[in-house]
Amino acid sequence: MTTMTTEPPRLDAFLRFVVRARQANMFLVLVLALFVGLSFGAVMIIVTQPTLLSSWSHFFSHPGGTIASSFNTVWFAYEQLFQGAVVNFHSLRLLIDDPSKATLATALIPLSGTLTYATPLIVAGLGLAIGFRSSLFNIGGQGQVVLGGVLALLIGFSFHLTPALQVPLEMLAAMGGGALLAGFAGVLKAYTGAHEVIVTMMSNYTMIAVLGYLLIQPLFARPGVLDGASKAVGVTGQLPYFFSHLSSALLLNIGFVIALIAVFAVQWFFNRSKTGFELLMVGQNPDAARVAGIYSRRSIIICLALAGALLGLAGMLELTGVDHFVTPNFGGSYGFDAITVALLGRNKPWGVFFAAIFFGAMFTGGEAMQAFTPTNIQFSLADVIQAVVVFCVATPALLVEVFHLRGGSRLMNSTYAGGWV
Amino acid sequence: MKLELRGITKRFGSLTANNNVNLVVNPGEIHCLLGENGAGKSTLMNILYGLITPDEGQILIDDEVVTIVDPKDAVNHGIGMVHQHFMLIPVFSVADNVILGSEPVKPWPVIDYKAATARLLELANEYGFEIDDPQATVEDLPIGAQQRVEILKALSHEASVLILDEPTAVLTPQETDAFMVILRSLKASGKSIIFITHKLREVLAIADVITVMRLGDVVGVTTPKETSERGLATMMVGRDVNFVVEKRPATLGDVALKVQNLYVEDARGLTSVKNVSFEVRAGEILAVAGVQGNGQTELVEALTGMRHPSSGNVLLHDVDLAGQSVRHFLDAGVGHVPEDRQRYGLIPGLSLSDNLVLDQLDDPRFRNRFGRNLKAIKAHGAQMRESFDIRAQSEESPVGALSGGNQQKVVMARELSRELKVLICSQPTRGLDVGSIEFMHRQIVDIRDSGVAVVIVSSELDEVFALGDRIAVLYDGEIQAIVPPTTSREELGLLMAGAGAAKVTQ
Repeated sequence: MTTMTTEPPRLDAFLRFVVRARQANMFLVLVLALFVGLSFGAVMIIVTQPTLLSSWSHFFSHPGGTIASSFNTVWFAYEQLFQGAVVNFHSLRLLIDDPSKATLATALIPLSGTLTYATPLIVAGLGLAIGFRSSLFNIGGQGQVVLGGVLALLIGFSFHLTPALQVPLEMLAAMGGGALLAGFAGVLKAYTGAHEVIVTMMSNYTMIAVLGYLLIQPLFARPGVLDGASKAVGVTGQLPYFFSHLSSALLLNIGFVIALIAVFAVQWFFNRSKTGFELLMVGQNPDAARVAGIYSRRSIIICLALAGALLGLAGMLELTGVDHFVTPNFGGSYGFDAITVALLGRNKPWGVFFAAIFFGAMFTGGEAMQAFTPTNIQFSLADVIQAVVVFCVATPALLVEVFHLRGGSRLMNSTYAGGWV
Repeated sequence: MKLELRGITKRFGSLTANNNVNLVVNPGEIHCLLGENGAGKSTLMNILYGLITPDEGQILIDDEVVTIVDPKDAVNHGIGMVHQHFMLIPVFSVADNVILGSEPVKPWPVIDYKAATARLLELANEYGFEIDDPQATVEDLPIGAQQRVEILKALSHEASVLILDEPTAVLTPQETDAFMVILRSLKASGKSIIFITHKLREVLAIADVITVMRLGDVVGVTTPKETSERGLATMMVGRDVNFVVEKRPATLGDVALKVQNLYVEDARGLTSVKNVSFEVRAGEILAVAGVQGNGQTELVEALTGMRHPSSGNVLLHDVDLAGQSVRHFLDAGVGHVPEDRQRYGLIPGLSLSDNLVLDQLDDPRFRNRFGRNLKAIKAHGAQMRESFDIRAQSEESPVGALSGGNQQKVVMARELSRELKVLICSQPTRGLDVGSIEFMHRQIVDIRDSGVAVVIVSSELDEVFALGDRIAVLYDGEIQAIVPPTTSREELGLLMAGAGAAKVTQ
């Protein structure tokens, strides 16, 4: 009798939960995107492993064995991906058995790698998100990262002040350089109508060429090497590591805190600051902004300059936190990856933060997966999974259709970059 | 074709937009659908056109139930819709726009433009449309002509029921007359028309049957013979409506706004405001009457800092503002309610409360130590929503989701909540229903009585007479005359047509 009375409401609550869970929201989209990405990756693994693929020809005679072997391989690969990105189970067990500095350091290595890789990406993603939310498509992230890095380098090896003075000086130089470079594109757009996409994109090539030129100049080139590496930033100009007392392999540095501060700053900028609000206005409807007394020229320049400052800062963080010197490939593809990070984070500061960490995780995890899986699963698999996830998040319409989510139109209508992305 | 909507119900969250609505449209009938902004007319028509799926109810064509899930179904069933905001490709020609989506191809995949043009002219002839040049680019055509293209497009898909969503809201009085002729010829050829409008005079002139909606319900079905403007307004609003706001004679203060020998060029460099001079005193409403396109836009832009005059002065309490920035005008106490509120008045993606402070970001009321005071802005939004009766789900709703009348209320509320010396209002009630018009007029008269100088630019004669303490008539960029509101309609009409100042004033 008691079960009769208690069961219906419980079922009801469960149903309500299912219905609510099917309501399209960003969290659900992310979970589904991850699911789709990993599923896609699993298919890739099975198809690219000859032994696994051939086992499928025996599917009807040994269905259990086929599925088990495929599942095991995929599971193992993803386990390595996770362990490489977050925490290694084996080193965690060692830490629990024998809590010491050495075991703690080993356990922290994967997470430290992820966050270190993510740090410049967070800041660069924030910079691009500022532009996108104001309908300005700054493609020049790479050039601004490079310029920021070069200027920070110049300060870094020229002076030997106390870190408390030199690091802020490097930041200032890098942010100023990035702001000038992107702000120049803003001036051109505001006064001549030159499209920022073209100007900033060209500035990428210009900056990469300038970097190549500088690296063969005596001022920058490291004496006695021919591989194009520059002089290194002095110790006083390097960002302090958090865990240097534990292990030299833990590269997580103050830069991560700077990135966190940047997240809060951008959050404040759009939510509370007058200028940020004006940028949103101009981005969404320049005509109405003008009626409200806002100069769109000024907004365009400010917006791009701010974006450039953050990208320059990203370059500085990469240089002083990780590399300490510059090569012709400086900055990797941070400037371009940051576009995707901004997109994945839907141009929201915290969204960008977690998107960048996801990228960092896929990078460090991908390396571990390639290194530790006996079967030749390549690093690029991590890129594939990452690409599918970004694809799904960028087109929520697709997920809404495939998984029959309710109220999807609301999600799709939520434009997050005034008509551009 | 007989069209019937039976028991249509649609809910959006807690809001019931349509509650068990029944509607029958007979062949060759002009059926007017009347209701306040937000009464559920557009929802009903979007259901009929397949843009919204109803929660309950059926659509019947010639007494058979049909399912319409998207506009394609609607078109296949002979339903055509002309939206308030045209769905034309501005850079395409008239002919291209009409054939878009059903291009005659012969041989495949080449478009047979000759056949397309021939078809267009044939259609135009059949219904008595004037199409001067089928190859003209749509964006170069006046609004009235664009609308005819939109109607032709629907007809080319062999529509037998045409839904017209507030077609006259964007038309000048002359264009409206021409439009009525077209409606009659469509009716004569057996088309059914569902005509959504706010303008009671038009309804009484053209409708066969009138269905009135209020808050999602059908509150009455009537015919022009059985009712009057007043009767319709009462049905729509649910109470008696004053068509002319009561206002005391103006108590005049000092000259607040003085315009001297103003010349303004338009975007193409043509002088469209010529030697305009007038004064407006505090506590007075000057109504600027005139047919659209006689320099009103440029005059308003010059009075609000949006456009710099080529010569002349705009004096606000003896300080010349000509050539100053918009910010300067706003800070000096010039309020601006722009004509095209969606384009110039609002940021659609931002919330109601944010839109209520767009030009007041520096106001200490909305700032605190940390920047914009979100709490105060939200509270202000809630208060304005209350006092201006802005119908929105909450003050956090994006303003783009509001109906036209409510959007206009947002713009008006924003300007009136500032310290004003002069208020410039362009077409303050365009597209609004009678209830909202009454409300807007009340607000404008109240702000006048509080000692603000008001300039109203309107092409609605009713509005000009209802509000103006003096009426300035603009024709071809010049002020023909400034006359008292006791002037007859005919005289004003003559002035608006450029009959010359001399004849009237002497």
